[in-house]
Amino acid sequence: MATLAHPDEPRRPNIASADIQLPAVTSYEQVDNEILSILQPTKAWFGALLLALACLGLGAFSWIYQIHQGLGVAGYNPPVMWGVYIITFVFWVGIGHAGTLISAVLYLFRAGFRTTIYRAAEAMTVFAVMTAGLFPIIHIGRPWKFFWLIPYPNWRLIWPNFKSPLVWDVFAITTYLTISTTFLFVGLIPDIAVLRDRETNPIRRRILGVLSFGWRNTEREWRHFARAYLFLAAFSTPLVLSVHSVVSFDFAMGIVPGWHTTIFPPYFVAGAIFSGFAMVWTIIIPMRRWFGLRHYVTLNHLDASAKLVLFTSLAVGLAYLIEFFIAWYGGVQYEQDYFWNRVFGQWWWAAWIMLTCNMILPLSLFSQKLRRNPTWLWILSIFINIGMWFERFVIVVPSLSHDVEPWQWSSYVPTWVDYGLLIGSFGWFFMWFLLFIKQLPVMALAEIKEIIPPKMKHTHGHGGH
Amino acid sequence: MTDTTTQGVKRRDFLKVLGVGGAAATATGCSTGDVEKLIPYLVSPDQTVPGVSNYYASTCRECAAGCGIIVEVRDGRAIKVEGNPDHPVNQGALCARGQSSLQGLYNPDRYRQPMKREGDALVPTTWDDAIGILAGKLAEVRAAGTGSRAVVINQHEQGSFPVFLDGILGDYGIAPHLSYDAEAPLAVAAANRAAYGAAWPAIDFSAASLIVSFGADFLDGWGLSVPQQLAFAEARGKVEGAPRFIYVGARRSLTGLNADQWIPVRPGSELAVVNAIAGKGAIAAAAEAAGVGAGLLEGLAQEIRTARASALLAGGYGPEAGAVASAVAELNKSRGNVGKTIKPQDGYLAFEGVAGHAEIRAAAARMAAGEVPLLIVRHANPAYTSAPGVGFAAAMDKVPFKVSFSSVPDETTSKCDLVLPDHHALEAWGDAEPVRGTLSLQQPVMDPVFDSRATGDVLLAVAKRGGDYRSYVAGRVGGNAALKDAMPKAMARGSVATRSASRASATPAGAGAAQDGAFFLMTYPSPSLGDGRGANKPWLQELPDPVTKICWQTVVEMHPEALKALGVEDGEIVTVTTSAGTLTAPVFGYIGLRPDTVAVALGRGHVGAGRYADAGENAWQLLATVEDRAGAAALAGTKANVAKAEGRQRIVTTEGSGRQHGRGIAQAIALPALLSGEAGHGHHTFEGQASTEFLPGLRSPTANDAQGDMGVPNSKDKGQYDPDHWSGAARRRWAMTIDLAKCTGCSACVTACYAENNIPTVGGAWQGPQILPDRTGFGANITRSREMAWIRLERYWEIDREPKDVVFDPEHPDFETRFIPMMCQHCGNAPCEPVCPVYATYHAPNGLNVQVYNRCVGTRYCSNNCPYKVRYYNWFGYGDPSRTQYAFPEPLHWQLNPDVTVRQKGIMEKCTFCVQRIKEAEHRAALEQRASVGEDGVRIDGLRPDEFTTACAQACPSRAIVFGDAADDQWSVAQWVKDRRAYHVFEELNTYTAVVYLQKVNHPAPTASATA
Repeated sequence: MATLAHPDEPRRPNIASADIQLPAVTSYEQVDNEILSILQPTKAWFGALLLALACLGLGAFSWIYQIHQGLGVAGYNPPVMWGVYIITFVFWVGIGHAGTLISAVLYLFRAGFRTTIYRAAEAMTVFAVMTAGLFPIIHIGRPWKFFWLIPYPNWRLIWPNFKSPLVWDVFAITTYLTISTTFLFVGLIPDIAVLRDRETNPIRRRILGVLSFGWRNTEREWRHFARAYLFLAAFSTPLVLSVHSVVSFDFAMGIVPGWHTTIFPPYFVAGAIFSGFAMVWTIIIPMRRWFGLRHYVTLNHLDASAKLVLFTSLAVGLAYLIEFFIAWYGGVQYEQDYFWNRVFGQWWWAAWIMLTCNMILPLSLFSQKLRRNPTWLWILSIFINIGMWFERFVIVVPSLSHDVEPWQWSSYVPTWVDYGLLIGSFGWFFMWFLLFIKQLPVMALAEIKEIIPPKMKHTHGHGGH
Repeated sequence: MTDTTTQGVKRRDFLKVLGVGGAAATATGCSTGDVEKLIPYLVSPDQTVPGVSNYYASTCRECAAGCGIIVEVRDGRAIKVEGNPDHPVNQGALCARGQSSLQGLYNPDRYRQPMKREGDALVPTTWDDAIGILAGKLAEVRAAGTGSRAVVINQHEQGSFPVFLDGILGDYGIAPHLSYDAEAPLAVAAANRAAYGAAWPAIDFSAASLIVSFGADFLDGWGLSVPQQLAFAEARGKVEGAPRFIYVGARRSLTGLNADQWIPVRPGSELAVVNAIAGKGAIAAAAEAAGVGAGLLEGLAQEIRTARASALLAGGYGPEAGAVASAVAELNKSRGNVGKTIKPQDGYLAFEGVAGHAEIRAAAARMAAGEVPLLIVRHANPAYTSAPGVGFAAAMDKVPFKVSFSSVPDETTSKCDLVLPDHHALEAWGDAEPVRGTLSLQQPVMDPVFDSRATGDVLLAVAKRGGDYRSYVAGRVGGNAALKDAMPKAMARGSVATRSASRASATPAGAGAAQDGAFFLMTYPSPSLGDGRGANKPWLQELPDPVTKICWQTVVEMHPEALKALGVEDGEIVTVTTSAGTLTAPVFGYIGLRPDTVAVALGRGHVGAGRYADAGENAWQLLATVEDRAGAAALAGTKANVAKAEGRQRIVTTEGSGRQHGRGIAQAIALPALLSGEAGHGHHTFEGQASTEFLPGLRSPTANDAQGDMGVPNSKDKGQYDPDHWSGAARRRWAMTIDLAKCTGCSACVTACYAENNIPTVGGAWQGPQILPDRTGFGANITRSREMAWIRLERYWEIDREPKDVVFDPEHPDFETRFIPMMCQHCGNAPCEPVCPVYATYHAPNGLNVQVYNRCVGTRYCSNNCPYKVRYYNWFGYGDPSRTQYAFPEPLHWQLNPDVTVRQKGIMEKCTFCVQRIKEAEHRAALEQRASVGEDGVRIDGLRPDEFTTACAQACPSRAIVFGDAADDQWSVAQWVKDRRAYHVFEELNTYTAVVYLQKVNHPAPTASATA
């Protein structure tokens, strides 16, 4: 542990290190008081919730209308048979990945900067997957038959087609939702116990007691908790790679020009982490400001995450360039025509939004000054969110609109129903998130307490805890 | 139906009783007014078996040609119209218009009972009342002695009815009627009659080595399109020794697109060109007048001089069409073509006794002058199909009493005082004499849909003559017994009585005063809607124009160069102004048009002629009163100005990109290259492709088909063709060949597929989203490519740039066009199958790629993965009667094929290779005890080779489509797939398709170098 005597934070924190400090956080009481004070509802919070519910209402209306009328009310334009819904599905699945990466992978790698942001990121993961999971159902023509994709025993002995990537998706998404929810919940147990102890309402106290499994803060409990947490982290880690790989198979297994490529799994995973971190910023940066958490999520934390974003941006950018290279190198005319059309033809604007937001603007993170500028990071995060949505747009729409058969080439313009459901998905996601931050601690109390020096040792400058 | 004449109890009453029972089985049957009528007969005629079709031969009345048809009737309802294979005119083929007669029969906008005028509105009345009124009026006319001044206009039809009509009305002193046909090529018919002694000689294209068409659009519905197309396609299908074809005309019609060379002469210069070729003028001067390079005309003259046997055809719609036709006929005579390629002795009688536009104009003038006491129209719609200068509608106001026998509302009938709706041709008796000496009979195939009556019967009742029109027709063939004998084939020897052509003739209006305008205006009858008579049939509205691929919309066609000069792009609104009127419509750049010419199709933009007919604009409004020397309206005799107007509309087109981008979809080969064997087998190979064994009869590698070893060359595993395959050996590999040398792009197959497979039309203005739709109007769904045609005709330009950048070069104006019908290819290794999460699409052992509608959840992944993009999705509840988007409003749904599911919203559908026909044939074989069990225990279906075929192949007037079992050499398709021109589309994708195309064959000019 670095010197606590220095009031200034180190300028260049090592993100791969567990060695991280919160100089302005000095006591356990401070942690409990500051973080649990967030749980008090405010007018602004009610306003935000109302806005989220309004967006959700728009989405719900759009969906009901669509179910009644048929998918024709959306902007589908054959052969563009997949549109905003699949784009938004992939977008939200991708968002989810950062949470698991932060909470599980970085945990295993002992990257200390994860501590104060992982809870929010993990909640984000669960809600993002809950959002994403809706979209395949919204997207299909007969949503009431959705369960046919699930392998359930039936007297007709009809099973789903296990060759179809869409069936793999069902497994990937349900697994991911199960694991990430479990992981979030297990991590919450000690913190729920804190809430229980401070709760005066007997009913709530009882509920929190049940949720905390009667946590009594014993050594034995902590040992089991740590092993369980580690185990779940190890369990979740492969999902970071596998889930988005499976999602990418939806495209890579098709013989559509622009889809049929082996680079998709790593490319999608990098993109997912990239977009997920952007969404973490979108959420965390306003939170640290509004809830007065700047001394928990310090500039060092942001700096460290910015480096990860820069890395994934470079990975994604490389994937973009390799796609162009392979299209040229592969010599398949359909691919070449498609990529030309994507960048310089019909869809140039979408492709350049993607390239600008995902490849060019993140290059600014080479500057430490900008890495440590929360305002810029927040603005950048919005650009990245937009850019990553457009990345999926560029993959889905231009490929389908410019397939092998020229006679069927077409265009695609979403309608208000598409936009309604896109907006509704944000309403759905933020509704859950807003409810979450007023019910459960948005930062892991127990883990933060681990990194502040215990009071009885405060005279010593060195030594762990 | 010969023997369903009378029934003791009215059928509809029975249905209501039946409906009470039926209601229990239906969700909607809560009231007897809304019952599902499951089986129309409670007590059925002897030969009607529920679920088994009866077939009745009859005669098509959709145009003047008089093709023979066979109507499939299931449980008392006509469900499909096909060509009669024994008929001398169409030999089993049928065009889109003929097949759509069903939608005239079941048209939801038909008059349901007689109507009479009360004030401004037509109100329903009874037949007794209506007949009484008509009898009274006719008696008045007779008493006043004004009958000779009455005007009677009948839609031109062949047969005995015109004589019958004249006979009955003659008793009232009424002059012979006008038999009007706005699309009849009267000038050419008259010139032919003068030159050859036959108005419409048969053309033996096979005997010709060169075909030159001077604006004769013989594949566009001009003349008798089906026999012309049959003969043309047969000739072109010969490949070696097939005639070369040159088209001379300002606009490249469908006929023009089928030509090997296009010489775009300026409208009005045709006569000079023909004369120069005949040596009666200088080529250079003619080329100057025609606005094309002199080399083109010299080459043309040279080819005509040296051709072994040529067929020169005159056509066109200019004011000089008659003179051109005479000149061409002289040329044919001098080249010795008459009797060789032009065969007057085998002529058709379609255009005998047709009244022209001039006669309608003369009648309108008399009407306007108040001389006409009575106007009677039947099916003809002169208020729409005449130049605005005629003022027919206004003239009608001066006629004290107007009677219509039309069965559907239109511009003329809606101004009448009494409507006595005639039966549809499929409900009525009649006859025709399409070729000399053969009577083609027309019989009712089902009970009338509505409370209509045959005009013949009404007139007999009015005249109190007794009997019915059926007896009259029977009299033509020699009595009732003879009629009964003749009906199975609906043909008899005999002739109809010819009319005494004693009607007052009218002087055609010449070009008259010089017209101003920067452009020549060419209007032309739409290949699908004709002069406008097909406009209320959604199949025809939705059928993309074979040339422009536009449906539900009227566009102003201009050359892209002219568009640039005007500063507009495709879809921008322009106003066309002529001396007669204006038309405002989106502009469309068409490369097959001279830059100094604009073209607009006729047929759309009706007012009050039904819910579908409102689509588009009415180009008749543009026509100045100019007539050719035979009195027909000169559709290309007006000059026009074009100005940019405000706004823009989406073009309602089914075309994505009109170019192949080098992808080898529609392949062609020049004849010399084919003969020299250069690119003979047409096998599209790529570097590194493994050689594969082929299933006998089909270029589908056995080892790679169905569940065999995918992609392993020379594998012993024969997949489902292995006799020991666990699922039972596949005995059949259903396959199809399409000969692009024969296919003209006419699109009759598309309509056949709509009729057979219950495909919904989606272009209605009401068939889109109901809340805040972002696209409205007719064809809104199609602007999002949501048409449902399981088979589509792709039309590719072979040009090196986008059509909008094409520049017109008078020296080298030519470009090649290729048509290719595209439907589900029934791949042996289908990309759609593995991606479906619920097995809604899978591979059947007989090679079919099967779509299970009930299992489909609508992920649409199959469509994404289909390289051919032949899967179609139900975006709305087109099949749900409770929906606004319902595609079959009562009684159009009576046409639905009961063997085919009406698909619900949210599911995918596609071509099934008419699996219901395969099953029907198998069942028939089983019933006839032809099926058996083979030694290996596998069932043998016992089908006879070529026993049945798909709807598209059946209808094809080019005979380009052959369907059958490619695994059995006795089927013709098994021979066709071995053709040296055979190829698969996108073979490099390893889809192993069951559809094999035969390359189109180009016939370059004898001197020109061969290019593929």
